[in-house]
Amino acid sequence: MKRGQPPFLPLATLVLALAAGPAAANNHRQAERISMEIGDEPGRVATAEQVIEEGPFARQLVFFRSAEPPGTIVVHTSERFLYVVQGNNRALRYGIGVGREGFQWSGLVRVTRKAEWPDWTPPPEMIARQPYLPRFMAGGPGNPMGARALYLGSTIYRIHGTNQPETIGHAVSSGCFRLANGDVIDLFERIAVGAKVIIRHGASI
Amino acid sequence: MSIGFRAFALAGTFLAATLPAFAGTLDEVRKRGSLACGVSMGLLGFSEQKPDGSWAGFDVDFCRALAAVIFNDPKKVTFQPLSALERFDALKAGKIDILARNSTWTLDREAGLGLLFAGVSFYDGQGFMIRRDNKAVSALELNRTRICVQAGTTNAQGASEFFATNSITAEIRTYPDGPATLKGFESGECDAMTADNSGLFAERLRLARSSEAVILPDIISKEPLGPVVRNDDVRWYTLVRWVNFALINAEELGVTSTNVGEAQRSTKPDVRRFIGVEAGDLGPKLGVTADWAARAVAAVGNYGEIYERNVGSKSRLAIPRGLNQLWNEGGILYAPPIR
Repeated sequence: MKRGQPPFLPLATLVLALAAGPAAANNHRQAERISMEIGDEPGRVATAEQVIEEGPFARQLVFFRSAEPPGTIVVHTSERFLYVVQGNNRALRYGIGVGREGFQWSGLVRVTRKAEWPDWTPPPEMIARQPYLPRFMAGGPGNPMGARALYLGSTIYRIHGTNQPETIGHAVSSGCFRLANGDVIDLFERIAVGAKVIIRHGASI
Repeated sequence: MSIGFRAFALAGTFLAATLPAFAGTLDEVRKRGSLACGVSMGLLGFSEQKPDGSWAGFDVDFCRALAAVIFNDPKKVTFQPLSALERFDALKAGKIDILARNSTWTLDREAGLGLLFAGVSFYDGQGFMIRRDNKAVSALELNRTRICVQAGTTNAQGASEFFATNSITAEIRTYPDGPATLKGFESGECDAMTADNSGLFAERLRLARSSEAVILPDIISKEPLGPVVRNDDVRWYTLVRWVNFALINAEELGVTSTNVGEAQRSTKPDVRRFIGVEAGDLGPKLGVTADWAARAVAAVGNYGEIYERNVGSKSRLAIPRGLNQLWNEGGILYAPPIR
């Protein structure tokens, strides 16, 4: 796998998925998704090192009962939160953007690599859908991968920053977990390569 | 033996003759055509009356769920705002069928007042709010600080006991009411403010710059809140108790207000029992229909949906789930199975 490949899917696919999806069900969820119809915006520069300071997605220490050792990352997809277990029934909680429906996954992986200002190499499937995307984009403030990336196992998924902090709290990605740049920098400092990452989403009927 | 039995039967006849015939709360509610639900006089996120007269909130939604179970209509509820002083008397006098008003479950309220708590719907407790520039991450780091607290609450005593136990020297400053306490904190007269956690999140919203205040994750007292009923009708108590369990089980099973229809076709046995397409005799055992739990979820959503909408991340309060998360997701909510 190429270094720095983000599994983002573009706006066009999202619209197609909506049109093809079961029309009757989940009307309000669709509305929520339509309101977040944001494609990747390579070149858009977010406020440098932005941190979410207010509201539920602000970084905060919360009660969290866990048998996992401190330093473990627990991602709750349906809640849109990422927890770093601190021990003593505490966790540091960050607001995240998650994969949209059909692109959510669960599992147990480890952080295999960390990168600052990662490069972006859109995969061929993505280029086919969005021919205007760059074939390669060097890491930097306008890069959709944001300020830092934690690579998860041998998957195509990452925990990374974003140049679109307003997407935090929504289901827009293709399975990656995105944090505001300031928050991903904070997370990056706390997590070592080899850290355990547990990805959970709610039970399905 | 037969004399004993006869005496017992006689006593029974005597009792039945002297007491008014008691049909049971469920029958009375059905006859009346609406549920009488006692709520607080207005508490952000828990029970609020909107300008159009309708009610909304976490406690309000519990009564709506119960009405949906009984009538298949969450609107068939009459809300009765009650002060802290009058709430238990109103319940005992039969003015309401259920009290859903952020009341703490204690021994004295059950054994002393003759009431029953049907379960815990919200684990509250005393917490602390500090300024963001204060780097404390735990209530144990509040040594040599000034603490603002409202006079006449259990919070002042709770704080001083907690500090004494942990050898923390702190100056406790009392204020006559909520707004004065908050002003003391905001103006810098205190380094921290203490109250029940749900109250702290509501008070924080009143600060000019709410993002500059942080609520610590420590909870130093037990304030389990839940719906209350009279102790003279176990059948009613059992129904209310299982509506609470059903909302929690729904979240654990992944049954939501949006997928409850699809859940009819689920192949998972526990989901099928929940919906009532299997073990359809469970609802009638409670005195309601087989689809009772599905009705509740269709009306107000599962526990997580109710929480997030009213007091959680989709509300202005934004109270983290904390203890009020499922037992397998970091909290302590654990409901017995529907089977």
